[in-house]
Amino acid sequence: MTLTTGTSVVSLRGIRKEFGDHVAVRDVSLEVPAGEVVAIIGPSGSGKSTLLRCINLLERPEAGRIEVLGQAVEPQGGVSAAELAKLRRGVGMVFQSFNLFPHLTVLRNISLPQERVLGRSRKEADARSLQLLERVGLADKGASYPSRCSGGQQQRVAIARALALDPQVMLFDEPTSALDPELGLEVLAVMRELAADGMTMVVVTHEIQFAADVADRVVVMADGAIIEQGPPSVVLTAPTVERTKKFLRAVMDR
Amino acid sequence: MSHLHAVLLGVPWTLAVMLAALAIGAVLAVPLAAARRSRVAPLRWAARLAIDVLRGIPPIVWLFIIFFGLGDKVLRLGPFQAAVLGLGLISAGYLAEIYRGGLTAVHKGQWEAASALGMGRADAMTRVIGPQAFRVALPGATTYAIGLLKDSSVVSTIGVTDIMARASQDARSTSSGLTPFLLAALVYIVLSGPLAWLSRTMDAKLRARVAR
Repeated sequence: MTLTTGTSVVSLRGIRKEFGDHVAVRDVSLEVPAGEVVAIIGPSGSGKSTLLRCINLLERPEAGRIEVLGQAVEPQGGVSAAELAKLRRGVGMVFQSFNLFPHLTVLRNISLPQERVLGRSRKEADARSLQLLERVGLADKGASYPSRCSGGQQQRVAIARALALDPQVMLFDEPTSALDPELGLEVLAVMRELAADGMTMVVVTHEIQFAADVADRVVVMADGAIIEQGPPSVVLTAPTVERTKKFLRAVMDR
Repeated sequence: MSHLHAVLLGVPWTLAVMLAALAIGAVLAVPLAAARRSRVAPLRWAARLAIDVLRGIPPIVWLFIIFFGLGDKVLRLGPFQAAVLGLGLISAGYLAEIYRGGLTAVHKGQWEAASALGMGRADAMTRVIGPQAFRVALPGATTYAIGLLKDSSVVSTIGVTDIMARASQDARSTSSGLTPFLLAALVYIVLSGPLAWLSRTMDAKLRARVAR
């Protein structure tokens, strides 16, 4: 039984994720067609990060079906290492806390996964890394260790590291939440460019302005469920659900 | 001078016991630490039990069990072999916990980043987690090594002619207690110096890279 339209890069069906007694995500379905930028917003604890992490199986849902680039898995039935590798192969991820490898230089951070995962030679990998460092505006940072970079720079390196594996979709888990507003802007600028280049993106964020400007669709989550979704012009300016209105008021008032 | 000469005769044996035991311990500690962190609960319990037993019994008791006990019938071992086996096993127990501490100190996000990038567990371990855990485990491991250097003096009780055994012999044969043992103390200090220095230098070097 295939439920996908065929053009979806990511297709989630009935995803349910529990942590002990707490149900973090309850029976959520989400389709992300190629080239779409989806912003997932909602209060803390609404399950948006957990849902995002289910896409590349950093969290194993208790129920549901995940299809990424035509490869479907039903995690509750067990996932082999090969399936996992294949699924993650097309999915890039950027974390709130950057998670750069502190013992490696910026350049090695970007090159190592290319060498290990794609089997590129060091020369090929470094060439690609330098190209991406240039793209995120950090061409001169290759030899630095992450600890010598600002948070905004580290996050841009993390984006470059993910892009170096040529993903078909990029997942962003609150990429600017750990950053000063100014440093957040430089990260958002890179993400805007990425979106403009047609990258399929799923972005969990508190940056309502970014969602308004860049997202094709805004998904609002509360209590583990999607309560409202649609174009930003509708959801962000004329929400129909009371819970959404309350959340947006709280965000705007800050 | 003849006192010093007598004590120095023990240095190669002390170093040999310590280095061989450390090598055995360093290798055996890897599976032990891995089992300690295993997803399989019985494996975790077994590793924990093994570590507690290895560390809970005094070294001298271990050595007597291996040399006088097992050595008598089961497994014929010379004093040096028994010493290395005994101290090697004990070292495995201590180093396993030191390794585990290093691994635990590496932030969970590092595993997540490596797996999200599609790196397998082995790659993540050897390229990402291991090097960071090493940095954390190093001071503990060298402190243990220095301790082992000193505590290896217990092997004199089963007849290994180490520094301590040589000092005792010298004390007995010359009927002068203080000088040989003071010299032994001095030699232990001198030997542990380079280890302490190596530890500090490597730590500072690795720290300089990752520190903010």
